[in-house]
Amino acid sequence: MLNSRFQFIRSRRLWLLILVFATLASGVLFAQYQRKPPAFGGTYSFPTPAHPEPRSALVHVLDVLMLVAGLALGAWLILKRRSRNGVMMLSIGALAYFGFYRKGCVCPIGAIQNVTLSLVDRHYTISLGVIAFFFLPLAAALLCGRVFCGGVCPIGAAQDLVLLWPKKVPRKLDQALGWMAYTYLGLAVLFAGWGLHLKIGAWQIQTGRRFLICEWDPFIGLFRVSGPFHMLAIGAAFILAGMFIGRPYCRWLCPYGGLLSILSRFSWKNVQITPDKELDCGLCAEACPYGAIHNFRADRASCLACARCYEFCPRALELRGGPGRRDDLVQVKLP
Amino acid sequence: MSERTTRRQFIDRSVRIIGFAGIGGAAGLLIRRASGDPVYQVDPSKCTACDLCRTSCVLSLSAVKAVNDFEKCGYCMLCPAYYDVASQPDEKGIPTGKVCPQDALKRRVVGKVDEDDPNNNYYEYVIDEIQCDGCGKCVKACMPPAGNGSLRLEIRYTRCVECNECAIQIVCPEGAIVRVPAPGLPPTENPGKGEHA
Repeated sequence: MLNSRFQFIRSRRLWLLILVFATLASGVLFAQYQRKPPAFGGTYSFPTPAHPEPRSALVHVLDVLMLVAGLALGAWLILKRRSRNGVMMLSIGALAYFGFYRKGCVCPIGAIQNVTLSLVDRHYTISLGVIAFFFLPLAAALLCGRVFCGGVCPIGAAQDLVLLWPKKVPRKLDQALGWMAYTYLGLAVLFAGWGLHLKIGAWQIQTGRRFLICEWDPFIGLFRVSGPFHMLAIGAAFILAGMFIGRPYCRWLCPYGGLLSILSRFSWKNVQITPDKELDCGLCAEACPYGAIHNFRADRASCLACARCYEFCPRALELRGGPGRRDDLVQVKLP
Repeated sequence: MSERTTRRQFIDRSVRIIGFAGIGGAAGLLIRRASGDPVYQVDPSKCTACDLCRTSCVLSLSAVKAVNDFEKCGYCMLCPAYYDVASQPDEKGIPTGKVCPQDALKRRVVGKVDEDDPNNNYYEYVIDEIQCDGCGKCVKACMPPAGNGSLRLEIRYTRCVECNECAIQIVCPEGAIVRVPAPGLPPTENPGKGEHA
């Protein structure tokens, strides 16, 4: 009994001794690496590590100016000029600048989360550029409808430009899928703003300061030509689907589109199908790939301001007076 | 018919006014709280150089790079971040392996050169930013007590695209990615200005 107790203490002392020696030895071992910066005398001056500055405030101002210019130009092209080509040019420009040059950031869709978190958590800092990007398109929607969706949003532009063989989606299905955007908006706001630990059985999830929209954005991977696999895969799927279905992300998933849709219901000006004289021929409803024309009138909430209806309208061509199919018809009639 | 339109117009007009007031109010509230263009940066006091910066950035080549702070650097010949000290030493006792898998940590001899004993010379260590992928192996090797802790990971704004949310921040186990105001220096270099947790 005693014997075993002594043995125990001896062995512990031995271990302690080994530990002390190991520590000392390692100290000696490490000492050869740890040195004070040497005194070089006058022959050498310490280089300062270069810290590249973040993008200057000027670039942020340029972003906001581009947004304002895009919104104004979009409103003019859609409401006054009624030019599909103009809107298409604008969206190509937006895709190039906001999409590929600015790599999809800053965008109002993601800004939903920054704004939410900033409202909830006063320590979270947010830049003026993000505030401008979130609120300007909302104000524009109250004035002129969804001009942001039509010509300025790079995500919308990417889908609009690949829409080659548009197929109609049944109205009921379209409306049902439209609710997904509001669900997504609610989830995104919840995940960004409130830290909750949800637990249902074995399935648990942590919310709070998680930016769901950015984690699952289908198009930023495309703009940056890199990203996690799931984002690139979803992006490719949306582009493929977008060739046949008009803007699937914008109509059924975009949370910011949901906000704009609510506000544009009360817009001051909006897309109107030949407001002075209409033919009620239904060509516009045929041409609209987003199912936004009901009873020969554009639905303010779901019109994405692409101006396709004007392109196909014989009356609008006449009103515009530009070269088009109408002129060809006239030429055929001439002897 | 005309009465119906007027009612609709009245609703439109009132919602527009409420909407503009709401947008203006919320924007005004946020503008008061906005601070000068916050950017992401690595807090070196929390960073453990876990290699997630290399793999988690949305860019294929991470915006995070290793940076050497020359004020802290020992200019050692046997730099633990340069040589892989666990590798087989050659006949002079200098390890043959290097830590950096990209060979991005470059050095040149500075000061008075002792031809006979290379251990007596001082070396200036510089990161080649084109080759560095931000894996942080050198940063880990330079951490005290083995090294002086002069190497650290830093978000380089020449590459960072300033996402609404930093993809590295989500996965960082130490919460070392923080938001700092404009010049974007690591939090220890501008004390008291870092973001509250």
